[in-house]
Amino acid sequence: MRARPMAFALLLLATTAPTAAAQEAYPARPITLVAPFPPGGVADLTARPVAAALEKVLKNPVGVVNKTGAAGAVGMQFVATSRPDGYTLLLALSSIAIIPEADKLFGRPPAFTVDQFVPLALISADPTILVVPADKPWRTARDFIEDARKRPGQISYSSSGIYGTLHMAMELLSHAADIKLRHLPTPGAGPAITAILGGHVEALASGPAAVIAHIQSGKLRPLASWGVERHPALPDVPTFKELGLPGAEFYIWAGVFAPKGTPAPVVARLESALRQAVAEPEFRGAMDKLKTPIAFRQGEEFRRFFDADARRLAEGVRRVGRVESK
Amino acid sequence: MTTDRAAGVVLALFGAWVLWESRALPLGTLRHPGPGYMPVALAVVLVVCALAIVSLGAGAPYVGAAGWGEWRHAVAIFGACAFAALALERLGYRLTVALVLVLLVGVLERRGPVGTLLFAVAIAAGTYFLFDTLLRVPLPRGPLGL
Amino acid sequence: MLETLQNLSLGFSVALSPTVLLYAFVGCVIGTLVGVLPGVGPLAGISLLLPVTFGLDATRAIVMLAGIYYGAMYGGSTTSILMRIPGEAASVMTCIDGYAMARKGRAGAALAIAAVGSYVAGTASIVGLMALAPPLAAFALRFGPPEYLALLTLGLLVLAYMSSGSMLKSLAMAALGLLLGMVGIDQMSGYFRFAYGLVELGDGLGVVPVAVGLFGLAEILATAGQPTPPGVIQPRFRELLPSRREWRESTLPIARGTVLGFLIGVIPGSAHIISSFVSYALEKRLSRHPEEFGQGAVAGVAGPESANNSATSGAFVPMLALGVPSGPIPAVMLAAMMVHGVAPGPLLIQQQPALFWGFIASMYVGNVVLLILNLPLVGLFVNLLRVPYSYLYPAILVFAILGVYAVNGSVVDVWIMLAMGVLGWVLRKLDFETAPIVLGVVLAPMIELSLRQSLAMSDGRYAIFIERPIAATLLAVGAVLVLLSLRTFVRRGRDWRARVVLAGKGEGP
Repeated sequence: MRARPMAFALLLLATTAPTAAAQEAYPARPITLVAPFPPGGVADLTARPVAAALEKVLKNPVGVVNKTGAAGAVGMQFVATSRPDGYTLLLALSSIAIIPEADKLFGRPPAFTVDQFVPLALISADPTILVVPADKPWRTARDFIEDARKRPGQISYSSSGIYGTLHMAMELLSHAADIKLRHLPTPGAGPAITAILGGHVEALASGPAAVIAHIQSGKLRPLASWGVERHPALPDVPTFKELGLPGAEFYIWAGVFAPKGTPAPVVARLESALRQAVAEPEFRGAMDKLKTPIAFRQGEEFRRFFDADARRLAEGVRRVGRVESK
Repeated sequence: MTTDRAAGVVLALFGAWVLWESRALPLGTLRHPGPGYMPVALAVVLVVCALAIVSLGAGAPYVGAAGWGEWRHAVAIFGACAFAALALERLGYRLTVALVLVLLVGVLERRGPVGTLLFAVAIAAGTYFLFDTLLRVPLPRGPLGL
Repeated sequence: MLETLQNLSLGFSVALSPTVLLYAFVGCVIGTLVGVLPGVGPLAGISLLLPVTFGLDATRAIVMLAGIYYGAMYGGSTTSILMRIPGEAASVMTCIDGYAMARKGRAGAALAIAAVGSYVAGTASIVGLMALAPPLAAFALRFGPPEYLALLTLGLLVLAYMSSGSMLKSLAMAALGLLLGMVGIDQMSGYFRFAYGLVELGDGLGVVPVAVGLFGLAEILATAGQPTPPGVIQPRFRELLPSRREWRESTLPIARGTVLGFLIGVIPGSAHIISSFVSYALEKRLSRHPEEFGQGAVAGVAGPESANNSATSGAFVPMLALGVPSGPIPAVMLAAMMVHGVAPGPLLIQQQPALFWGFIASMYVGNVVLLILNLPLVGLFVNLLRVPYSYLYPAILVFAILGVYAVNGSVVDVWIMLAMGVLGWVLRKLDFETAPIVLGVVLAPMIELSLRQSLAMSDGRYAIFIERPIAATLLAVGAVLVLLSLRTFVRRGRDWRARVVLAGKGEGP
């Protein structure tokens, strides 16, 4: 009696061989944009306006799906291994370059590699901002750096997780300024902000949108920015480049990728569609509300930006090394 | 072999296995515990408790007497659920659910074919409509669009 | 005081306007549905439905999301009581005594008490939110890793009171649960622990698949094959409502659960999940008949359910007063506000009074709506139990699989649920309790992280736990509790735990 259900089941499993994709004009089916972070996070909030604008331009449904887990690795691995037919795209953050490097560091097979993707467009690139609690004595970045040199390993900072974007930003600064800080990883950007607001740490490298409200209310003081140019919402905050530390350059950027092997005409279609999408007034309005300036780059420009960024981050990860073996 | 003894042995073995698997994780120091610290500590606690349970477990009822009568049924249910897990993303939600319900209600519980089929299709389509269409919770679609 | 009343009337005028009221109602209904679905809890519910709110204006979106949140907390108790499947992680404790009450034919009473307790707790905690938000939020922010660890250690002590049987067995189960919680990426060092190459396990096994598997699936595996299916209970209408004795027994637990849940909910982080566990332990400790717990004690339903609901308002305190994302759910709400152009922050109350007070007023309204929704539904839900078990349990299984899958869209979660289901079934046979496992899975990552974070903050000095006043106080309270229970343990004569064991064997006073 129990053999029948099993045989039935086996028969059904045998019929689940994937059906061959028919040749069709692109796009003919709904496209999925995978956001590898939970709803409400930076990647998710950027992905939705992108999807909406893309849908308008392509006149084809584009839906956002959150595939969360392992600081983005789950979603990124999902797209890296999905069929390269242009119907599964990824909205990735700068951590896409960090995760494979961290995997290499621990000697485990990488969840995915950067060359499993074809970069389509850079959407936004927010420089991180160095903030300290307002009741701390440092008024400028120089004060901070000098104090850090005097007391190596004493000044603590929080981050969104080890080898995460906020950690890497601080790491680049530490290397460029030749200082040593004490790192407190927290499970995400939210807890990192809570930690500094509660006075449990003394510094934080954060994406600007999350801390602007606290800067305006006087709880946090911005000291410097990791960008090449000053952030439009914080015109009085100098960049580390101005302060003579060009190595401290870091952006929390968001870009759209497709799996490698996506046919060239599909890639071209998507690239031009994205170019049109970011010009849509609704898209601009949505990004304004998020206080995230649009920094659109494509093709060769994006590739150069991406490669330089990936190289910086890979070096940073290698420099941090394995924390536990120190 | 009493229930307590059996459980204790299995738990002790599990704890030992965790200890073995943790050997690659650095222990760190008491002042800076590493990733292996807590797993090792907990595994030790588990093994100690398990051994204590084994040594005190003579008075517990025998394993056979614990009432395993429904095991065939339980295995069949588990099999159906396993099939669901395997098929969910390959066959799509609606087809998988309908099949699982047919398996459980029709084959295992031996209810009539008409009622079973109606029930299966109703639940599969109804929940899909409610969650995928109305609430926009993405549920997998199989090759047949189901 | 006058100003507060004025603000409230502003808020109510916003909240009771027809469209806002409609969205609150829709949110409550969706939340109840989401809550009733096993596994998908308020966080998953809000996250999944956040995109739906993008087309609305800020107030309506927030009101709807809050309605979903509340509705999910109300709805979570329904499946816990009727089918012993936790609607979300925080409803696990309701499964124990709520289901026992249902088996005794008191399902309607349990549902009603859960609904009323949730309503009282929800409303009272909103008052707390209104009155105490700024000072409480400032206090809450002072909870850093050392304070968190002290609090969670107290939570561990709760385990001692959860067990009705052998302490040793419960300790083993707790250790097992804590070990299971170690799976995943280590936050402090980046190592992948016990994940065997499965990226999906990076965030751990997940309390949802574990809880649904250990309680729901295990229950079905054990009951479905029984020669006599569970008796179909056919209650009359009068029996649907709690008796006077049951109401009396639930008053104090509801009050205690409200205060306790609110305080725990205020603390930033995910501690609010343990509010129901702590409430259960507290009620058991304070009860005159602790042997009833596990067999259908009213306090075992009233306390945890109230604690749950007031923890939700507590979680909003830091979010609204300071714009701080004090946990995953407030973080999603803050993001929703940002998307709609409302800048969250300490000035929110001043800059957006209509939004803030409208939100508060809509929470009152939402609680009333949910009470009105849930009480008549008690009759409907209890009638679901009349469906023959052969049809009922496959449907429940489908819902469980659907719920667990929907949280992350991951089949790996379904497999975890299956494995936990088998484990739970076997443990039942061998007479081990499964609730400590769930508590362990919840607590382990938080305890380890807080400990190592504290040591990172202090550069390895354990003295940090004594130097910080809040942490030191909490640890002192814990030490006192341990000493107290050791004293009763050592003292000659029957202590309450021995009574429990004896009562279980059918002897004793």
